[in-house]
Amino acid sequence: MADKKLTVVISQAQGKNPAKRELEESLAAALLMEADLEVSLVPHLYDLSADHTGTLFLQAIRGDVVVLSWLYPRACHWVLDRLDVRGREGLVLLKEEVDEAEEDPEAAESTSVPFVNPERQKSIPDRKIYSIDLRVSSTLDDYLTEIKRLSQDAQVQTFQLGNMLQETPRPAQLEKYLKPLDIISAQKMGGNVAEADQLEPTKRRWYPVIDYGLCTNCMECIDFCLFGVYGVDQGGQILVEEQDSCKKGCPACSRVCPENAIIFPGHKTPGIAGADGEVAGLKIDLSKLFGAPDALEMAARERDVELVAEGRDAVGLSVGIPSRLKVSQSTSDELDDLIDSLDAMEL
Amino acid sequence: MPDDLVFMMGNFEARIPQDRVYSKSHLWLMPGEDRWRVGFTAYSVRLLQDVYFLDWAVDPFTQVREKQKIGEIESSKALSDLYAPSAGRILEFNEELLNDPSAINQADNYDKGWLFEMESEAQWLTPTEYLQILEDGWEQAQRIIKGQLN
Repeated sequence: MADKKLTVVISQAQGKNPAKRELEESLAAALLMEADLEVSLVPHLYDLSADHTGTLFLQAIRGDVVVLSWLYPRACHWVLDRLDVRGREGLVLLKEEVDEAEEDPEAAESTSVPFVNPERQKSIPDRKIYSIDLRVSSTLDDYLTEIKRLSQDAQVQTFQLGNMLQETPRPAQLEKYLKPLDIISAQKMGGNVAEADQLEPTKRRWYPVIDYGLCTNCMECIDFCLFGVYGVDQGGQILVEEQDSCKKGCPACSRVCPENAIIFPGHKTPGIAGADGEVAGLKIDLSKLFGAPDALEMAARERDVELVAEGRDAVGLSVGIPSRLKVSQSTSDELDDLIDSLDAMEL
Repeated sequence: MPDDLVFMMGNFEARIPQDRVYSKSHLWLMPGEDRWRVGFTAYSVRLLQDVYFLDWAVDPFTQVREKQKIGEIESSKALSDLYAPSAGRILEFNEELLNDPSAINQADNYDKGWLFEMESEAQWLTPTEYLQILEDGWEQAQRIIKGQLN
């Protein structure tokens, strides 16, 4: 294993959607043919617990890594960060179409953070993590082209399987992640395979993931959440401390966050699930005109549902609601632009 | 029956019939014996244009809260979640629309294009009050729309 290889990780979809399974399998098969890639397969990243061997496998990867998952790239990056699999965000060209004008490759590679925590900065190795969303294309070649491009750019380091092997748990437990086709065929066989060939099962989980590239450490989430999910580390930085205290389906703290820095990768609203920028999509969203409650109102309501479910009293908007007025930073710019475009409308 | 009120959206005349009442969320409500029949106003339809997808997220006879999400709509230009105009109980959806939502468009919105029927104790807006809301909110509405066009 002295070759220099770029590691590609395929993170499986939750559930057993055949179309998704097929794309995962074709990708694994095609990528295994590439001599300069090391291909592996792990369960859905969001469901990995800290002691899952899939987590240990990911943590043992050195050098740049490409991660293919059924998640928005931003969600993927910060879920990995949560799992202590860290690096800088690598620039991926294969992604959901957005307005060209807003593209800024420099910004995408930027490493500045709004809240500086030296301890945290030290924990981020000098390598890149390229997160690719498997939902942006159903064409195998799109992924192969992008991964080949990345493997030419990437800082490829010797994949130190040797070092990895010296660590506990036993190497066989980690090595199996490098045999994606074996894993897939074992899954197809169902229960009729030796335990050693199967991935450890994962459970569906639900918890917030913090985007530390956006988080200003304002503490509004910790004030708002009444279930003790959030905590503060020794450097004074907010963290998700008790992730399993989080209430399944409740995204309320994400709505309260003024920076949109709290991601629930499993939520159906793209803005909450980690899509970039304002809500994606080319169509006009008329929800506000048709009576959508504002985000704070909605957050308080979602929290009340969970409080009542626990036998506690609903608190409505009386606890942990920011006193300042929430004004989207983009509002004033948007106003100028839209007034310019006013005549273009056919109303 | 007095003539329809008219709100000018640019050059477009949005009619507001005076035989019914209205909600702030741009729905009309026609009283029946024990229920309200609910539909989109001409103003809504003009903003949506060419609806081709309508989906309800709740079943008939569901109790709803005000502003609870009850469905989704999509047109060639826009999409929106749909919300209950008040607390109450949704009784029935217009089956015709589920096969072909095009009756929401154009001339039928105040008639065959009704959306659902519900029970509600809420206070609604008179046609004049609704017209006032449109006039007061027009600038803001244009901002919401145009802010998203960039």
